[in-house]
Amino acid sequence: MIYRRSPAATALQYTALFALMFFLAFPLLWMLSTSFKGPRELVALIPSLIPVNPTIDNYFTAFREQDLVRSATNSLQLSLGSALLTVLVALPAAYGLARHASVLRRFTMSWILVSQIFPLILIIIPLFLILKTLHLLDSLAGLLVVYLVWSLPFTLWMLQSYVKAIPIELEEAASIDGAGRARILRTIVLPLLAPGLVVAALFAFISAWNEFFFALVVLQSAELHTLPLTLARFIGSEGVVRLGPLAAASFIATLPSLVFFSFIQRHLRSGLLTGGVKG
Amino acid sequence: MERTRVSMRHVQHSPMLLLLPALVPVIAFSVLPLAEGIYLGFTDAKAGLSVDLAPTFFDNYIRLLSNDLFWQSFQIGIIWAVTTTFLQYALGLSLALLLEQRLHFLWLARTLALVPWATPPVIVAIMWKLVYQPDIGLLNQSLRGVGIPVGELNWLADFNTAFPAVIVVGAWAGMAQTTVALVAGLKGIPVELHEAAASDGATAWQRFTHITWPQLRPVTDAIVSLNFIWNFNSFGLVYVLTEGGPGGKTMVPALFAYNEGFKYGHFGYAAAMGNVMVIVVLILLYVYLRRGRRGVE
Amino acid sequence: MNKRFRASIAMLVVAALAAACGATSPGTGASPAGSAAATVAAPITLQFASFAWQKATVDAHNKIVADWNAKNPNITVKIVTVDVNSVHDKLLTTFQGGTAADIVHDESADIGGFAGQGFLADLSSLIPGDLKADIPQGIWDTVTFNKKIAGVPTILQTYSVFVNKKMLADAKVELPTAASPWTWDKFAQVAKQLTTTDRYGVGWGLKSPAATVMSMSLNFNGNFFYNEGGKNVVKFGTAEQQVLKRIYDLAYTDKSLSPTTLGQSGPDILPGFFAGKYAMIVGGNYVAQQMVEQAPAGFDWAMLPLLKGDSQAQSANPQTLSIAAQSKNPKEAMQFIAFYMQSQNLASVAIGDWLIPVSTSAGKAVTTITGGKNSWDVNVASTPSLRLAPFQTLDAYPQWKSQIAQPAFQQYFANKIDLATVGTQLTEGWTKVGGK
Repeated sequence: MIYRRSPAATALQYTALFALMFFLAFPLLWMLSTSFKGPRELVALIPSLIPVNPTIDNYFTAFREQDLVRSATNSLQLSLGSALLTVLVALPAAYGLARHASVLRRFTMSWILVSQIFPLILIIIPLFLILKTLHLLDSLAGLLVVYLVWSLPFTLWMLQSYVKAIPIELEEAASIDGAGRARILRTIVLPLLAPGLVVAALFAFISAWNEFFFALVVLQSAELHTLPLTLARFIGSEGVVRLGPLAAASFIATLPSLVFFSFIQRHLRSGLLTGGVKG
Repeated sequence: MERTRVSMRHVQHSPMLLLLPALVPVIAFSVLPLAEGIYLGFTDAKAGLSVDLAPTFFDNYIRLLSNDLFWQSFQIGIIWAVTTTFLQYALGLSLALLLEQRLHFLWLARTLALVPWATPPVIVAIMWKLVYQPDIGLLNQSLRGVGIPVGELNWLADFNTAFPAVIVVGAWAGMAQTTVALVAGLKGIPVELHEAAASDGATAWQRFTHITWPQLRPVTDAIVSLNFIWNFNSFGLVYVLTEGGPGGKTMVPALFAYNEGFKYGHFGYAAAMGNVMVIVVLILLYVYLRRGRRGVE
Repeated sequence: MNKRFRASIAMLVVAALAAACGATSPGTGASPAGSAAATVAAPITLQFASFAWQKATVDAHNKIVADWNAKNPNITVKIVTVDVNSVHDKLLTTFQGGTAADIVHDESADIGGFAGQGFLADLSSLIPGDLKADIPQGIWDTVTFNKKIAGVPTILQTYSVFVNKKMLADAKVELPTAASPWTWDKFAQVAKQLTTTDRYGVGWGLKSPAATVMSMSLNFNGNFFYNEGGKNVVKFGTAEQQVLKRIYDLAYTDKSLSPTTLGQSGPDILPGFFAGKYAMIVGGNYVAQQMVEQAPAGFDWAMLPLLKGDSQAQSANPQTLSIAAQSKNPKEAMQFIAFYMQSQNLASVAIGDWLIPVSTSAGKAVTTITGGKNSWDVNVASTPSLRLAPFQTLDAYPQWKSQIAQPAFQQYFANKIDLATVGTQLTEGWTKVGGK
C-alpha cells in the first residue's frame, strides 16, 4: 500500500512497534539472560540483564539430567506429525463444510463450540478409557491422534471461512472450461488457501509442542516423554524452581517453533504473514 | 447455466467423503468422551474403583444453585474472559495493523509476534511470576527506576492488583494467535477498496473506520468468540500464578470445576458445572453475535 | 493362496498381541504367572511412580532401584517419573483407567482420598514386622485410614525457623538448644529485637498459609476439628486462634515481620534473606537444600529446633509409598518397599530432600552420614514432635482446606478480615463442603 504518511505518524508507528516488540520479546531476553546465570547470581536482590559471571553450566545440566534431546525429538515428531496430519484431514473437511450446507455442517459447528467450551479436564478420564480400549496409551501414536482431534476445531473453523471467501464462480468457471475436480482444487483452491493452511499448520505444530496435560496422562514410559513434561521436572514442590536449567531448557524449547515458522514463511512466499492473497 | 448446475451436482455428493477422515477420529476421541462428560453431569459419579453411578437428573444443578462459591467464581470468570479477550484483541489489532504498514524491522516483529505462543505455558507463568515479584521483580525494579514509589507491592498477592495482574498475563499469552488471525483478515481485504478511498481523499482514520473495520468484521467475530471461549475455559495460567488466591480473588470457574473433579473426586458435580458453563457461554456468544448481526461463520 | 492367507492372519494376530502388550501398561502385571507370583521365578516387572525431583533424591532413587534390580533379576522395578506438581492428576487418571503403577510415591495428605476411593491396597498384612517396629506408631497413624494402612511413610517435613547467624551474634542473641527451644513468646521478642530501620526480624513466605497454620497450631493444641456425637465439627476457640493471632501480631502490631513476605512463597523470600532484609525466616525444612545451593559464600545460617507453644507438636504429613489395589504383585511390591526403607537407602533419600526419615534406624544413619552438620542434628531430633492431627483423616478435609481455610487465612494475613470472621468462615465452610 502506497500512502503518504507524515513524519509524525511514522515516528508514532515506530514507537508503537518497538514498544510491542519489547513487550513480546522480553521473555526471550529474560530466558537468555537467566540461562547464563549461576545459582548464586539468580538470587541476587538486584538482578542484571547481562550476567556478571556468565556460565553455560545450565545448558549442560539441562542436557545431562533430563534427557532433553530425547524429549525434544519426541516433541518434534509429534508436532510435525500433528501439523501434517491436521492439514491433510482439515483441508478436505473444511472444503466440504464450506461448500455444502448440510446436517453435517450444523453438527460440526455445534461440536466445535461445545468441545471448546466444556472444560477439557472433565473429559480426560472418558478419553483415557477410550485410548486404553484401543491400546493407544503410552504411545506417541495415541497422543498424535489426540492432538489431531484437539487441533481440528480451530483449524476447521478457520479454513472453512477461508474457503468461503473464495468465490465459487472461480471454480464454476474453471469447470466450464473443462477442468477436472482435482485440477480445480489444485490450481485454484489450494493456492488461495495457502495462507490459511499456514495458520492451520502453525496452530497444530505449536499446540502439540506446548501441550502438557494429555501428554502427562497418556505417556508412562520416560523414553516417550515430551518436552513440556521434561520442563515441568525442573519445577519442584511449593514454588521451588531450578531457574537456571529451566531457562536454558525453555530457551531451547522455544526456538523450534520460531524456526518452523520462519521455515514455512520462507517456503510459502504467498504465506500469510509475508505475501498475502490478492483480493 | 445448465452445465454449471450439472457440475455443481457433481460436487454435491462428495461431502461425506471429504469429511470422513476428520469425522472418524473426532467422533471417537472427542464426541464420545464429550457425550460421556455431559452425561456425567446428570449423575452422582465419583472417583473410585468400580464405583457404580446412578442418574440423578437435575440434583447436581439444584445443589449448584446454592453453591455461592461457584457463582462467585463464575462472576470472576466472566470478568476475566471479557477483559482478557478485549485486551488480546486491542493489542493484537494494533500489532496486526502495524505489520501491514511499510516499516523497517517488520521481519523481526513478525517472528517476535509468535514468541508468547511459542513459549511453553509453564514457562510463561513462571516468567511472569518473576516479573511480579515484590523485591527482585522486573516490574517493581523498573517502576522504582523511573521514580514511581511502588515500595514492595506484591502484585500477585495484593487483593487489588492480583486479578488485573493475571489478566495482563492472559492478554500477553493470547496475543499472538489473535495477531495471526487478524493479519490473515487484513490480507483478505481487497486493495482496490483502499486505493479507491485514498483517491477520494479519505484520511487514514476514515479508511480504517469505513473499510478496514467493517471488512474485518467476520474475522473479528470468529477470533473474539474463540478467544472468549478459550479464556473462559483456561485455568493453567491462573493455577500456576495464584492458585486462585489471594482469598479466592482469581478463582476462575474452570479452575473451580477442575478442583471439584480432580482434587475432590466429585466427577458428576464437576461435570454439571461444565454443563452450566457451556450453556452460559453459548448464551453470551449468541448475544454478542446477534448484536453484530452476523453469524459466527 | 490359502497358506499365504493363513500366514497373514497369524501375522495380524501376532501384531495385535504385540500392540496389546506394548500398550497395556506393564504396571498391571504383564507376568504370565499373574498373581501366582509367590511360586518360583516367573520374571515380573513392577512399575514405580516416583515424583522425586531434587537432583540428589532422584539419584538416590535411581541407585536404590539399580541395586534392587541387580539383586532381584526376576523382579524388575522400573521408575515412572511424574513431576511433583502433577502427582495427584496422574495418579487419579491412571487409577481410574486401571493402568496405575504398582508402587506409587505420594504423601499422607493425598492418599487418604485415594484410600477412600478404593485405589490403594491395604498393607496391614504385608508390612514386615521389623519395618513396622522401626517407625513410631504416631507416624503409622498418619497413613491409616479406616483401620487400613494405605501407605508406608518415608520422609517428613517440619516448619522451622532459620536464622542468619551473624545477625543474631551481632545482636547478642543466643541460639536455642534442643533441650530448651524458643517459645513463640521468645521468638516474637527476638524478632522485635532484630528489627531495625532497614530490616525486619522475620520473613515468612505464607502465600498458601493453610498447611503451615494447621500444622503449627498443634503447638497450642489447636485441633480445629472435634468429634461431637460421632460428627466432626469445626471449632475456633482460643487454642485455634493462637498461631494465627501471633503471626498477625508480628506483622501488624510489632511490625517485626515483613508483611510483603506473607504473600510470597517459601523459596521466593530467600533472596531477601541472603541479602539481609530479614534476620530470620520460617519455612519448610526442605528450604535448607536451597540454602546449600544458593546462599552466597560466607553466608552463615542455622535451622533452629521447632518452636514451642504448649508443646512442639506439628502435624506429620510424610511422603508415602503405596501399592495400587490393581497391582497383581503386591507381595513383590512390598519386598521392594522394604528394601527402599532399609536405613542406608532411606537415609540417602532423606538427605537429598533435606527431610527427616521416619524410621529410627534411618534417622541414626542420617546423623552418622552427615555428622550432624548443617543443622542435621536439629532436623533429626524433631521426629518425636510430629504426630497425627485430628483433621488429617477426614474425607472432606482437603476440600475444606483449599476452598475455605486457604482464602480465609489469606484474607486475615492481608489484614482484610478479623479473627472472628475467620472463625465464622471456617465453621460455616465445613458445612458448605459437606463435612461430616
